[in-house]
Order: sequence, then C-alpha cells, then structure tokens
Amino acid sequence: MSIRLLKYAFIEDWAEPRFFNTPDELRDSYDVVIIGAGGHGLATAYYLAREHGITNVAVLDQSYIGGGNTGRNTTIIRSNYLTEEGVKFYDQSVELFKSLSEELDLNIFYSERGHFTLAHSDATLRTARWRAEVNKHYGVDSEVVGPDDILKACPQIQLDCGGNHEILGALYHAPGAVARHDAVAWGYAKRASEAGIEIHQHTEVTGIDVAGGRVVGVTTPRGKIQAGAVVSAVAGFTPTVLSMVGLSSPIEIFPLQACVTEPIKPWLDTIIVSGSLHLYVSQSSRGEMVMGASLDPMELHSRRSTFEFVSNLADQLLDMFPFLSQVNVNRQWAGMADMTPDFAPVMGTTPVGGFYVDAGWGTWGFKATPISGKTMAATVANARDDELITDFNLSRFGDYELVGEKGAAAVGH
Amino acid sequence: MKYIDFPTLGRRPSSEFVVGGIIDPEPAELDGISPGEWVFNRDSIPMRRTEWWYHTPTQLWFLVERHTATDEVFGATLAGAAIDG
Repeated sequence: MSIRLLKYAFIEDWAEPRFFNTPDELRDSYDVVIIGAGGHGLATAYYLAREHGITNVAVLDQSYIGGGNTGRNTTIIRSNYLTEEGVKFYDQSVELFKSLSEELDLNIFYSERGHFTLAHSDATLRTARWRAEVNKHYGVDSEVVGPDDILKACPQIQLDCGGNHEILGALYHAPGAVARHDAVAWGYAKRASEAGIEIHQHTEVTGIDVAGGRVVGVTTPRGKIQAGAVVSAVAGFTPTVLSMVGLSSPIEIFPLQACVTEPIKPWLDTIIVSGSLHLYVSQSSRGEMVMGASLDPMELHSRRSTFEFVSNLADQLLDMFPFLSQVNVNRQWAGMADMTPDFAPVMGTTPVGGFYVDAGWGTWGFKATPISGKTMAATVANARDDELITDFNLSRFGDYELVGEKGAAAVGH
Repeated sequence: MKYIDFPTLGRRPSSEFVVGGIIDPEPAELDGISPGEWVFNRDSIPMRRTEWWYHTPTQLWFLVERHTATDEVFGATLAGAAIDG
C-alpha cells in the first residue's frame, strides 16, 4: 500500500470530500419521497432541485445506490427506436448524455462507438429500413448498411456466422455509445446531495399510506415519513410497490443476464447487436468484452445467474467471432427487468393522487436515465404528465393505446 | 439445467418448455375494471402459483405449480387430464 494512502488513516480531513453526505436521521416529512436510488431515481431528484427548486426530497433505497439495474446493464446508449414517441424521447436522452460529464462534474466515460443492429434475414432488414426511415424523419442519424460496411468497421466478424445466419446488412446508428453506468448514478447522487437532497441507503419502503385517494406518506423500518408526493423508480420491484397503493399494471418481472470476459487488447470499436443470435457485445475501456443476451424464458423474481445463459451466449458469440474461443468469462450476473407488453416504459401520473411511476424499463432503461429523470421531475413539479411522456402513461393499457416498440428491442426477447 | 418430473413424459429438462404464464380464468363479470385492464394487467409479485407450460416436442400442455421467487416447482399435471377431471 502506498504511504500516501496510509497517512489518511491518521488524519481526520480526507483530501476529497465525500460524494454525498446524508444525515443519520430521517426527517418527519418531505415534499417528495423517491423510492429507488438508481440512475432514474437520482436523476429525478437532481432535476427536481436544479430545474424546479424542490430540495426537500428524500431518495430511499432498500440497498446501496446504483445497485439494481443501473449497475447491471450493458451500458449501451442509442436512440434508433421505431415509434415517434420512442425516437423523440430517446434522442433527447442521447443529447443529455453527451454533456452529462460536464454537468455532473464527473467523467462518465461517454464514448461514441457506432451501433450495428445486424440483420440475418429479409424480415429483419425490412424492420431495419423502417427504423432508419423513422429515425431520419426525426433527425436521428441512422442508416441501413451492407455487409461490406460492417466488415470495414469490424474486420474480425464472420459474415456467414457459421453458415446458419448469414449477415445480410445492418442498421447503423453512428451516435450509439457506451458509458460507465456506476458513474451516472454517482454523479447524479453527488449533485443532488449538493443541492440538499437526502439519499438514505438501506431504507426499504414497506408500505405507502394513502388517504382520500392521495398518498400521504411511506412506511420504512426506520419509521413513518410524511410525503407530499411519492415517486416509484424501482426496476424489478414495481408490481410490489404498486400493490402497496392498490394499483395493477401489465408489468411482469423477467431476469436479464449479462457477463464480461477477462480484459483483452482493444479490437472492437463498435457495438454489435444481433437479434437473431440473441446477442449484444461491446468492448469496455478496460478491454473486457461486455455481453448480454435475451431475457430468461419465464417470470422470476431473482437475481441468480445461470450456466445455461453463459453457455448459450458463448455458442452464439463463437458463430460470429470464433477467435474468442480462448477468452475466459470473468463475471456474470442478472438483473430483474420490468417487462411491458409493448416494450415501452410506464411513466407519469397514476389514479392515486401524488403517486408517480417511473417503471416498465425492461431492457432499455439505462439509455433513458437523464431524460426520464428530467421528465419525471417536471411531472412531479407540475402534477401533470410532461408532454414528452404522455403516451407512456399507465392508463394506455386500459385505453388500448399501446406504443408498439417491440421492433426496436435490441434482441428478440 | 433444471429437470422436472412430468406425468406421461417422465423427467424432462425445463428448456423443452414454453411457459404460457399464470392461469387466469375469464371472470363472469369485469368487476369495475375495463376489458383492457383485464387483458393486460398482471399481479407480478413473487408468489406460489399455477402456470401453463407447453412441451414443444410433444405439443402437450401442462399445469405446473411454481414459486416465482425461488423457481421451485411443486408438481405438474397434464392439462387435458386436469380439465376432463
């Protein structure tokens, strides 16, 4: 250990201030209580303070910050979606991400890589053309490219994929990027805390008190808290939290798994996604191959990871990149994904007054972190849905107004 | 791989099955909810429940009792046998 580090064991003033300082005791009452200290919850807190001047806010989490799906995704950021609602929404998120390091005063390692969604069949190519046209219409950089362009960007790829899934083309999205997901959560936590917002970790919400059709507070093992508004931002636990206020939703919980290999020399600049092979892969700045696949096949409220996942993923990966056969997997993990029938999120107001949801983020939540924080903050501050998210309201299912974003999911779930 | 004892089939790996979700019988009356809410809404909280399972190779449907927090399977019955009594 370095001597410089050792000296800090003996002095009281640490050179770097802590990222966030939260008092030991909970207050009796907050204007807004946010359940879930992941990227979305912390971003909502930050924008409540910055844009609406609301700082009497507590962010509660049953565990530590960014320990849920914020820290379990494969960090891909893109906006090449299929519906008008989706493209507009995610495009604003990408714009916010680009300047987020400066805004949060913390390097989130935002790195534009270019994003290839491979097409192995005419049907996939057709959807790619559709997405490209929708994207271009809304000013998002997206185009269909042929096998030669893919080979130019990634010379190591086997275009015939072992003979079974020949690559016919791809949807290329130049702004596709990766970022450090932990840094996003920590950056928002730091900035929110500077504005006076309290972040209480290891404080599970066990009940939500409703009186006269309005939320009045939440119950935690550390006592009851009064709250003017409650925001649920708990990917993977949304149905449980909704049941506390007597609401139903179409959200079902499925595990989504991912893994990283040992670090290897940089060779993959771009992000490669294949719906047919159920695979997405990119290389982190440390050199690890970051990989994910499709959802586990049945509803399960668990974060265990399985050998079947990693063996299936390796099987598909080696069709495309056979030279990776000697590379070892270092870590694998799972997250619990809030899946909706139309693959679009559930956001905004609910029939319970003062209760807001930011949920249904399935397998597409990380890339939406800044914009969902911003729009949820505006929704809470004005007590009505921000115009960017009106189509994502929970009421759309009862009204048969689904958004239909499944065609833009990374892989066929 | 997880292996489960099935009537008629014997011991089979779970990868041979497609899970069709919870058994949700059509109610006689929609009690204050819209048809859309009945079609889409699920109470996806961890619980022990009975699900539809479809065995792809034999095209047989089964009723499987499973806990959605632990993935523990408590038993399976052939759907036809359960319905015919």
